[in-house]
Parts: sequence; structure tokens; C-alpha cells
Amino acid sequence: MLKFAAPVLLLIACVAAFVVSDPPRPRADVTLINRSEIATLDPATMSWAQDFRMARLLGEGLVRQDVFTRAMLPLPGVAERWEIGDGGRELRFYLRPGAVWSDGSRVTAAEFVYSWRRNLLPETGADYAGLFKLLEGGEAFYEFRKEQLKAYRESPGTPERAAEAWAIAEREFETRVGVKAVSDGELVVRLERPTPYILDVLAFPAFFPVHRGTIERFTSLDDVTGELRTDPKWTRPPSFVTNGPFVLTEWRFKRGMRLERFEGYWNNAAINVDSIECPTIEDPSAQVMAFTTGAADWVFDVSAPYRAEMLARRDRFWERHAETVARMRAEGADDLELARALPGEPDGFLHVFPAFGTYFYNLNCAPRLPDGRVNPLADARVRRALALTVDKESIVRNIRRCGERVASTLIPPGSIGGYESPRGLGRDAEEARRLLAESGYPGGAGFVTLEVLFNKDGGHDLIAQAVAKDWERELGISVRLVMKETRVFKDDLRLGRYMVSRASWFGDYGDPTTFLDVNRSDDNNNDRKYVSERFDGLLATAAELHADPAGRMGVLSRAEAMLVEEDLPLLPLFHYVELNLFDARKIAGATTHARQVQDLTRLDVLGDGKGADRAPEMER
Amino acid sequence: MIASRLLQLPLILLAVYTITLALAWAVPGNPLDRPEGRRPDPEVAKAMLARYNMESFGGFYVSYLEDATGLTWVKGEAKGGPVFDLGPSLQYPDRSVNEIIAASLPVSATIGALAIVVGLAMGLTAGLIGAAFPRTWLDSGSLALAMVGISLPAFVVGSALQMVFSLWLGWFPVAEWGRARDLVLPSVTLGLPYAAYIARLTRLGLAEQLSSDYARTALAKGVSRRGVLVRHALPNAILPVVSYLGPASAAAMTGSFVVERVYAIPGGMGQHFVNAVQNKDLFLIIGVVLVFSTMLVMLNLAVDVVYRWIDPRIGAGEG
Repeated sequence: MLKFAAPVLLLIACVAAFVVSDPPRPRADVTLINRSEIATLDPATMSWAQDFRMARLLGEGLVRQDVFTRAMLPLPGVAERWEIGDGGRELRFYLRPGAVWSDGSRVTAAEFVYSWRRNLLPETGADYAGLFKLLEGGEAFYEFRKEQLKAYRESPGTPERAAEAWAIAEREFETRVGVKAVSDGELVVRLERPTPYILDVLAFPAFFPVHRGTIERFTSLDDVTGELRTDPKWTRPPSFVTNGPFVLTEWRFKRGMRLERFEGYWNNAAINVDSIECPTIEDPSAQVMAFTTGAADWVFDVSAPYRAEMLARRDRFWERHAETVARMRAEGADDLELARALPGEPDGFLHVFPAFGTYFYNLNCAPRLPDGRVNPLADARVRRALALTVDKESIVRNIRRCGERVASTLIPPGSIGGYESPRGLGRDAEEARRLLAESGYPGGAGFVTLEVLFNKDGGHDLIAQAVAKDWERELGISVRLVMKETRVFKDDLRLGRYMVSRASWFGDYGDPTTFLDVNRSDDNNNDRKYVSERFDGLLATAAELHADPAGRMGVLSRAEAMLVEEDLPLLPLFHYVELNLFDARKIAGATTHARQVQDLTRLDVLGDGKGADRAPEMER
Repeated sequence: MIASRLLQLPLILLAVYTITLALAWAVPGNPLDRPEGRRPDPEVAKAMLARYNMESFGGFYVSYLEDATGLTWVKGEAKGGPVFDLGPSLQYPDRSVNEIIAASLPVSATIGALAIVVGLAMGLTAGLIGAAFPRTWLDSGSLALAMVGISLPAFVVGSALQMVFSLWLGWFPVAEWGRARDLVLPSVTLGLPYAAYIARLTRLGLAEQLSSDYARTALAKGVSRRGVLVRHALPNAILPVVSYLGPASAAAMTGSFVVERVYAIPGGMGQHFVNAVQNKDLFLIIGVVLVFSTMLVMLNLAVDVVYRWIDPRIGAGEG
């Protein structure tokens, strides 16, 4: 019998060892669920909303944003004050002496220079390198380094050659790029041209400083390619040195993160929680269960299978309190104020926040498709006809069912202070048929089969079916749906191998150009192959109008009108929303701002006796 | 025999590596592409491909092989990296594949090992009961249960167990991890199909042994039925179960996508088999496949060793 018992006992011993070695952690003040693993904590390479959310807890740039003001006014961050001179081309930042890294050393101006340089090195593969081209000489330096590396690879590399090339690049950066450390506490930033939204951009995590000493320990020159290579392990505790209000004490793969208050943070007194736990829970029902059983306090963006049902329950809950809801709405209260005024029932824990992004269809504007076929969509009248016949209301109401707003513009209206959105096109089947006839396809006769490309998952198929049905019924054309795996889909978009395709875009900073630039003829993300001298010209004009903010916004609005009323390289369907799950009577600090930048440094557990214990109020 | 098995290991792994890489490579789409968001500068995208040696199949095949087998390390080019470097993860740029596997294998191995224990305990018991009371309701009942265990998919069993024991009875936590009781439901869910299979193997093996001459002789000489079952028939009947345990343990211990999803087990291995392919995370795909193959070969080897221990006659002839 011993023969059989021995292996069993051995296994039990292993399990016991595992449990002992991996005990549960004490509960943090707040538990926030991340829907997927944080991809990276390197501010230069991150691109996901939840990575940015973590970056804002762990780091801080020269300035921060007040997410509770409509205009998202800049607040002092590492810089305690700044001056803008030379007609808006030069910014001088005075860094506070009290801004320190988690290792106790001061955050210096030279570290900003170092951090920004990383973003302008092509080998970093920075997602937002484009934003750094706003700096004087930024683009020139980026191109210089790119050419330099290309030339380097042409002959065999040696450590000496790599070091030499790097020394030249360093000098080149110093002489060309408009960011200089005058002293430890003074940073001068020169811009390519005056940029009215520059402070907003500087609050973006890509512009956060990174700890030079740490990164340099993990960086080496690769003599085969001449590139500077950084071992991504630098973002792992205990190596990771940060300058935000929280420090990362633990990051376990696919398990989650733990953040603790950083006592040395200059504005530590304004922080209302001591510890934050961010478990990674990928399964939609496990997310919801963790919330309902009380194991988590906040689910960002509830997963698709639960959205419609939860929203319907929330709506019924509001109906039961219709009077209060109507009264508070009339007073201009946002969702959260409303939730705090209503009884604390679970049905009221769902909060719909507008997101800074739009779901649309790309309409390929190229005269011919890559396979040589003539593209009927090259005619703007055809594209307008397609846009005029889609029943967006029905998509939002019957397919998405998450409380999205129907979109007739690319930029979500009301998300950018001082910007007046164009009206866009409504629904007009009569006019659409006229346009189609005018372009040579009366009643759809002679029109090739229109192909609608979309990626699998995410319910894109249902939307495509609805749109196709509208076009077939109203325009008499035949439509074929083409579903592809996401990466193949992306390849097709890049190469223009489609007629109509599903698309989305999220803005990064508070200016219309964050949406409009991608439609510039030479933009790398212009999947629509839209080429319009007039549109490019309007963007160029706007760039020159920096001294006249209102006039500038007017020009940008005209440019957007070209996109959504005249040329229609894209067909807006709806503006995204985020469905958040938390008890607003317990958790405070979320913003309902239409740009959806959650600054979790304002988090507060109401009634725990720590911090302000008062919800920040959204500007009305 | 053991030595020759060990010698086969590198050859098997090389074949697995070649086939896996060829298949993963054939999947269309650029693995460095992001599913959403902005696109990098085309030249930067090209330079990134070059950085990961992904410009050509041949180049990648050789360079990865050198890293993974430790050749790069032997040549002194690893620059402080690990001996066997399975490469970076493309999906999780802050992690290496070595790190990901090191983090997730213990999680899955624990649940898998427990699942095998559950499977053995339940399977052997059910098989023994069936054989002890042949053609009674106990026999048909245990076989029927085994049938159900094999047929029901883990997501049904998992959700059902969670409903009953977590939501209604409140005995076990939902989506928590790190305590002994968090292991119970996942291991039972994962272990049930193994239990069912083992029950059938045991029951059939015992029936065959009981009808053999030596068993009938023993019964005729007055040994009790229980004695014959446990002392004589079981050691022989269990051999097929033992050989089944090799591949079963390898499969159980490298994780189950479904069980990990249903119980929200953080960081198990099973998810990588599915997600890495979906994300075209080339390095991670090869990494998990290589680890799985190694475990499969090693556990089969272990089965051979156990075989000899249980029944010294096996392998004796080969010397």
C-alpha cells in the first residue's frame, strides 16, 4: 500500500509548500480591477488606456490636468510654475525642489531632457514619438538618428563604431532639439511653432520623466545594429524608481499590482488612500463576481456580455426615482452626483461615462484598389450616399445597447473646450439615391459588390450586417461582408486592401488635431487614403493661427466639416462610452469628463476617515 | 532504456520546435502590430522586425534555436541573460518568456497535481466499488458517473460547482487565490475527467484480472473477495492507469485554459496556449510548446520508472 501512498503524500507536500509560499495579501484601501495585464510601465512605449491610468498613479510630468474642469486646466506638477514667452514658442519651467524620486533623489531638469530624448530615438519604438515632434528640431533629430542607424547597418558593426555613432547622436540632440536644462530646477522647452495645447500634451504620460540612473543600468549599445537597447526589466520592483504619489511594491505577472503611498511625494497631503490593489481579472463574469462579492471596488469598463443587462437594470432603477433624476439632471448634475443622491442599491452602481473615441467606418478613397479593381468609393458622392443611408440610431439602440451617442462627427461633441463641432450628415435616403444616380449608378445599377471588412470578435459582425442591410435596401446595391482575424485585418487596412472597413480612433490630448491629423494625406494612420489639398491646407492654416484661439478652432471645425459633411472619407457611427462599476457613495475621485482621463490620484474612500472624505465636484 | 529515452529528448524537441515555428510563422499578420491604436513609422516597424531577428524564417529559426538551447550563452553572447533564453514576449513587452513561464508553471502544476490526486482517488475508488459489486446498482452507477465526468466539458462543471458551492452554499470564495481552499474547486473540476477515465480503466482491468485463473484459484482456496481484489488483482489492473498518468499529468500540470478562465485563476499556463496564438506572440507560443513537450517526455519517462517499481518483471528482460 505504501507504493501508492508515497506519491500522493509527495504531491500533498508540494501543494502545502505552494500555499505557504504564496499567502494572500492584506486588503488594500481600494481594489481596482484591471481587465487585462498591464502591458508596460515604460511611459515611452505604452499605448493602452489602463497602462496610462497606472502611469498617472506612479509618475508625474511637469504639469497635471484638473480633470474636474471642463477645459482640463493645467495644474502644477513637478514644475511649480512656468512662463510662456517668444509668442508661445518658448516655455520655461521651474521645477519644485521638493519633487523627488522614490529613491529620495531630486527630479531634475536634465532628467526631463533625457526622458524626452528616449522618445525621439527610433530604436525606442515610442508610440507617441509624433508628439515629440512638436519640439523644435524634434522631427529633424528623429530623422537624423533613423538615417544614422540605417547607414550604420550597412557595414559591420563594432562596439567602437556604435559608441562613436551614439556620441554623434547625443551631440546632435543637444544642438538641434529645443529642450535644455538650464540648471537642476529650470527647464527650457522650445517648440517648432507655437502650440496652443502644449500644456495639455505635456501632461500626457509619454512626457513623464523616467529615472535616468535606473534605465542606464539596464541599457547597452548593441554593436550589430548600433541601437541603444534597454532591458525592459527596469520597470519591475524593486528596480523601478518613480516620482508619482504612489510606488509600485509588487507586480506579479497576470496576478496584479500593489501600490503604496509614497510619503516623499511633494503633494502627499492631498492623497486620500494609503494603498491600492490592482488585480488582473480577464474573465468578464469573474470581474463582475469579484465586484458583487465585495472583493473589488471598481471595475473599469464592464465587459461586453454584462453591459446591456446591467444598463437596463440601471435604467429601471432610475425610472423608479424618475422625479429625483429629472430634477437633478435639470440642475446639471452628472451621473455620479445623481448616484450619490439616490439610494445605494446595486442597480445604481453602474456609471456610463462618455469616452474620447469614435466608432466609424473607413471609406477607401483611392481610385483603384491594390488588386487593380476600380474603386467606386473614390467618388465623394458615393461616399456621401452611403453615409446618408445608415440607421445609426438602430445600431446604438438594438445592437450596442450601452447608452452610446449616435455620431455624425469624428470628434465627440463637447469633449474639447472652445471647439464647436460641425453638424455632420443626417439620414436622407432620397438625397442618397439622387447622389448615387448622379455618380452613374441609378438605383444601384452597375455598382460592383461593395465589400465591408471587419475584424472578428467584438460584435463588429452585427453592426456590419445592419449597415449592409440599410445600403442594400435604400440604395439597391449588393454588399458582401468580409470578416478577418485582427492582425490580417490590420494588414489589409495598412495596404488599402478594402472598400469599407470598421475603424475606431481615440484622442490623446485636448485639441481637435488629435482626431483630424490622421486624415492628413501624408499621415501614417490615414488608412482611408484620403488625399485633399484643401483639408491639409486648413490644418496648415490652423497651425499658423496660434495667436487667435477662436479663429483657429473655427478653421479646425471647417476641416472636420469637410470630413463629415462633404468628402466623407469616414462614416461616423457612434461615440464610445465606458461602463464603470463602483459604488459612488463609497468611492470618489472619478471624473465624468467627456475626455475620460481618470486621474486616480484623486481617489478617496468616503467615510473611512482618511483624507478629504469628500467627492470632488465636476465643473458644470 | 532510460538513457535512450533521454537521448531522444533533444530530437523530439527539435522536431516540435521546427513544426511549431513553421506553423506559427505561417499565420498571416505582423506579430509586432498592435490590435488597436496608432501605427509606428514604417521604417521603425522594419527596424523592430530586425531587432527580433524576424526578417526571415531561416534567420529567426537559427537565432532562436541558439538562444533557447543555450548556445548563445556558451558563446558568451548572452550579455548576462539566462542560459536557456526563450526570448521576449511580444504581447507583454516588460516580460521575458522565461519569466512568464516561471510565474505561471507553478500555478498550473499545483492545480494539475491536485487534479491528478483527485482523479486517482475518485477514479480508483469508483473502479474498486464497481469491481467489488459487479452488476449491481453501485457498479452501473459508478460507470454512469464516469461517463458523465468524461462527457461534461469543464466550463459546465466549473460553472455548476461555482454556482452551488460558492454562490449558494458560500463554502468557497469566488475568483480568489492564494489559500488552500481556493485550490479545491479548480482541482476537482480539472480532475473529474481524469477520475472518470481512471475509474473505467480500473473497473475494466479488475474485471479482467478477477476472471483470470490465479484469481479464481485464490477465491477457490478461500481468500476473501476483498483480499483478492486489493492484494492480487489491483497491482496488475493498475498498470494501464499508471501508463495513462504520464500524458495525463503533463496535460493537467501545464494548465487548462477553461478552468483558469472559469475560476479566474491568475497567471496559469493554460491561457498562454490560446492567447499567445491569438496574439501571434511567436516567442511565447514556442516557449510554452517546448515546456509542454519536455514535461510530456519526462513524465512518460517517470511512468516507465514507476512501472518497474510496481512490477519488477517489466524491463527485466532487457537488462
